[in-house]
Amino acid sequence: MSEPDVVGITGLRTTVGQRLVERLLARGDGLRVVGFDLRRPSRMDERVVFHPIDLAEPTAGSRLAEAFRKERVDVVVHAAFRTDPTPDLDADHELETIGSLHVMNACAAADVQRMVFASSTMLYGPWPDNPNFLSEAHPLRGHPAAHSVNDRVEAEMLLADWSIRHPKTEVTVLRSGWMLGGRHEDRMTRYLSLPVVPKLLGYDPLMQLVHHDDCLRVFERATVESHPGVYNVVGRGVLPLSSLLRLAGKRILSLPAPLLYRMTYFPSQRQTGDAPDGFYAYLRHLWVADGTRGWAEFGEPDYTTKEAWMSFISNRRMRRYR
Amino acid sequence: MASQERPVDPHDIADLHGALDELRDEIRLRFPAEPAVRSRGGASELEALLAAVRRRIGTLGMVERSGAIDEFGLDEDVLRRVRPLLDALVDRYWRLHLVGREYVPERGPCLLVANHSGVLPFDGLVLSHAIEREHPHRERPRFLVADWLMSLPFAHATLAQLGGVRACRENAERLLASKRMLIAFPEGGKGATKVFRERYRLQRFGRGGVVRLALEMGAPLLPVGIVGAEEAHPLLAKLTVAARPLGLPFLPLTPTFPLLGPLGLLPLPSQWVIRIGEPISLEPYDARSASDELLVAELNEQVRTRVGSLVDAALRDRDSVWSVG
Repeated sequence: MSEPDVVGITGLRTTVGQRLVERLLARGDGLRVVGFDLRRPSRMDERVVFHPIDLAEPTAGSRLAEAFRKERVDVVVHAAFRTDPTPDLDADHELETIGSLHVMNACAAADVQRMVFASSTMLYGPWPDNPNFLSEAHPLRGHPAAHSVNDRVEAEMLLADWSIRHPKTEVTVLRSGWMLGGRHEDRMTRYLSLPVVPKLLGYDPLMQLVHHDDCLRVFERATVESHPGVYNVVGRGVLPLSSLLRLAGKRILSLPAPLLYRMTYFPSQRQTGDAPDGFYAYLRHLWVADGTRGWAEFGEPDYTTKEAWMSFISNRRMRRYR
Repeated sequence: MASQERPVDPHDIADLHGALDELRDEIRLRFPAEPAVRSRGGASELEALLAAVRRRIGTLGMVERSGAIDEFGLDEDVLRRVRPLLDALVDRYWRLHLVGREYVPERGPCLLVANHSGVLPFDGLVLSHAIEREHPHRERPRFLVADWLMSLPFAHATLAQLGGVRACRENAERLLASKRMLIAFPEGGKGATKVFRERYRLQRFGRGGVVRLALEMGAPLLPVGIVGAEEAHPLLAKLTVAARPLGLPFLPLTPTFPLLGPLGLLPLPSQWVIRIGEPISLEPYDARSASDELLVAELNEQVRTRVGSLVDAALRDRDSVWSVG
């Protein structure tokens, strides 16, 4: 397939959506961007054509297909995933799983040539029997307590199935690691911004980070070039959670797992639907991905795990977050 | 390494990275769109320069504490601190007698295959420590640790810092592919958790995983017999019912545990002998042989016999369990 002319992005307001639009427009090669989201972003480049859409609607598929056809979309980047789970388990499922299905169906109906699917290494799940480095071939196991992750596992399963039935659409799945940088906010960054950070007593998993510049560079290339397949998008190197926190000068509060799991306390003061173990499980066992395949395909990342972390904490310091 | 003398404050490095980020954003703002304009304005060169500076700072930062942690979690700083303790444990407490150090290759990957005993992985720790002292220019050998042990609180973090790696195929392949030494215990849990009256009786060597691994990765196989670990933690019985609420496979009953509480986890001062044997030649075979199940089983049994005879020899080296010298 030649260079695309029109790129459709679902989830325009997510960090990936926003930053990808900026990067695609900055290329200056006349690429047109069509954005989809529930509401119009507060700040949006006037070159972007915006279509409001609710992916959880039963007819979202046909409405998307119509828009894809009308705008002659060549490549669809599906990034409409929540950064944080909500208390409403059903609504999350409708968006993450069924919404993805709508996007796939629309791609098939509108003969979209390429689909880039924003996934996450969280989908492998934190398990004590994970190998130290999870390759793309490792099964996606999610975690029983992390419903939002399981919804996305299901979405990726549906995608694998779908892509067999629709071989004409090229599919790239980008499983990005835990992304840091810029204005990106999720409950991991909020957790890390706490003045005293609670941690599971006796567990100190090796963590892996990816700077959002490296991550978005890969998204950009996967959008404009042909890279079919599944890739982990992560930084080089790992650091134990305790070292990360110590580097940031954080006070660590180590609590026994049962106690911490029962604390439904979150930095945002906002109730999330996930049982806390769904979150803390990711701070208990390993879920580090093997980035070799992605680095070979998309090039060496600029930031190691540690540099991504350093850049993150310095950003926070400058904004007096600490 | 000037930074070794004056420790780098990680926050200084963080601030530098932050300043670099700001500079880069500034460049992007001033030279937004066309590639032609970017190249004429030298924006690409500037960005490349910034990236180079960032990499330099990155390595500078690596000198300080948390930089010494490798991809499997081995922590050089922790090791440096516990090395005197390990030396004392190996030389004075267990009076280790090491035979066959000359068989450990000077370079390249190497798979050490040993008998397993003692519930807690002291055998792996001692063997890796002993080999590291004999070959200081080589990276410390990693030892594979059973799943269930690695999933216990504290165990994973501690063992990983000391060079323990969860036993699984992917990890073993990665370590050998990066030309490191690896210690495997093919008896697995069967060996580590056998009761005292079965001491030094070799169990089944798994399903030939070590042989297959050595064939596929082209790594020499070194048989090793370890004597002493059985008596360090003599397992009199396995309490299964009492262990259930704790989520453990069993609770060990030793002469000192649980009688003395956590203190009972301390190993007894048995005398240790480690015999490293001649490398087992897999020369006539190659990676393709790894799929020949019967050949693998045959080679696996050969390895087991060799380890068995090394254990017997090591037992003869020792006058008594508690002998000195």
